[in-house]
Amino acid sequence: MATTATDSALANFLAHSLELESEARERYGELAESMDAHHNRPVADFFRRMAAEAEHHLQEVAALAGHMTLPQLKAWEFDWPDAEPPETASYEALHYRMSLRQAMQLALANEHAAERYYREFANRTGDAGTAAVANRFADEERGHAAELERMIAALPASGLHLREEDDEPHMPE
Amino acid sequence: MTDAIRLKAKDYKSEVKPIWCPGCGHFSVHNAITKAMAALGIDKDRTVLVSGIGCSSRLPAYVDSYGFHGVHGRGLAIAQGLKVARPDLTVLALGGDGDGFSIGGNHFIHACRRNVDITYIAMDNEVYGMTKGQASPTTPMDWDHSKLTPHGPGVRPFKPAALALASGAPWIARGYSGNPNQIAKLIAEAVEFPGFSFLHVMSQCITFCPEQTDWKAIVTESEAPPLADADEAAKQFLHEDGFQTGLLYREQRATWPPPGATAAEEGAPGELAAAFRV
Repeated sequence: MATTATDSALANFLAHSLELESEARERYGELAESMDAHHNRPVADFFRRMAAEAEHHLQEVAALAGHMTLPQLKAWEFDWPDAEPPETASYEALHYRMSLRQAMQLALANEHAAERYYREFANRTGDAGTAAVANRFADEERGHAAELERMIAALPASGLHLREEDDEPHMPE
Repeated sequence: MTDAIRLKAKDYKSEVKPIWCPGCGHFSVHNAITKAMAALGIDKDRTVLVSGIGCSSRLPAYVDSYGFHGVHGRGLAIAQGLKVARPDLTVLALGGDGDGFSIGGNHFIHACRRNVDITYIAMDNEVYGMTKGQASPTTPMDWDHSKLTPHGPGVRPFKPAALALASGAPWIARGYSGNPNQIAKLIAEAVEFPGFSFLHVMSQCITFCPEQTDWKAIVTESEAPPLADADEAAKQFLHEDGFQTGLLYREQRATWPPPGATAAEEGAPGELAAAFRV
C-alpha cells in the first residue's frame, strides 16, 4: 500500500514525539538517581515523579503510533529547536544543592518548551491530521505546566536559592 | 552486530549508577557514548572502554561493555596495548584534563604520533574535580577559586587541539557537554575513522567551576568541513578561542602497527608469558 503524505508527516511527528518523551524520561530518571546519590531526597522524588509522567506520555504516543512504520533516526538526526529535545532538562540548570522550588521551575520551563514545540509543529505542518495531534499534545503539555504552577504556588516562600549545606559533594572513591 | 535485536542507547548502560554531581558534563558524554554505540550497532562484547583516574574515568563502569579503570594517566597506554594485541576490538580511551594532559601528557603526545586505531575522549572541565577543585593543565591562568592557587595558576593553559596536531594526531574534534547529540555523532565518526581519533569535550564542572555554565552561550558549531592541511589547522588551533565545536581536522595516514606486523609477531605474547611463568 502506498504511503500517503499524511502517513509520512504523522510518522515523522510521532518519531520526534517518542524521542522527546523518551529523552525526558531518561534525563529525569538520571537526575533522580544522581540527586539520591547526593542526598537531595525531595528533589530526587520530584524528578522521579517527572520521569513517571514522561513515561506515561511516552506510552500514549507509542500506542498512537501503533503499527505505523516510523523513520529510524539516529540521535543527531532529529530536528530540534535547540541542542536537545525541548522537554529534556538542561545540565547547565542543575546543581546538587538545588531546592525543590528550583527543580519545579526547571520542569515548568521544560513543559513550556514542549508545548511551544508541539504548537509550532502544528502550525508549520501542512497536514491537518498531524496538526490536530500536535495541538492535542501541546494542550496536554499546557495542562502539565498548569499543574506545576499550582504545585509551585503551594510551596512555602523559602527555597528560592540553593540549599545551605556545608558538606562538599558526596564523592566516594 | 551480533545481537538479534537492535539495541537502544539505554541498553548500553550498565546497572551501575553514576555518582557524578547532578549537572556534571560527564553525564552528557556517557549518554553520547551509548547513543553512538546504539547508532553504530556496536557489539558490547567486542568493545572495551579504558580509563585512567578522575571523575570522568569512572565512565567505563557505567557502560555495559568490557572496561578497564586503569592507573592515573595511563589509560592511553593500556588502550593502545589492547588494540595492538586485539585489533578486532573497538577500543575507546577516556579521561579528564588532569589525567590526559598532566600526568598522562607524555602518553597523549605519543599516542597522537603513534596513530593506533583507537578513539580517545578527553573530558575537559579545566579542574581536578575528584580532589575538590585544583588547577589542571587547561585551567585559565587567572582562575582563583582554589586555595592552592588563590591568585590563579599563573601559567597559560594547554591548547589540547594544538598539542594533538603538533604531535601528529590525524583526527581532531571538539564537542561540548551541552550538546550530547553532537558528541554522539562525533564519537560515531571517531570510532569509524581508521586511526587515532581525538575528541576533546568541554565538559562542565557545575560544582567547582560554576562559571562554566556560561559556555552554552559561547560555543559555536562549525559548519565548515574539517581542515586537512596541518599548517592551516595549526594557525587555527593556536589562535582560536577554543569554543568552536565539530570535526576540526582530518587526514589519512598509516596506522601503527603496520599491516602484517601483528600477525608476524603472533608468537610473542606466548613467549613473553613463558618468560614470566613461575
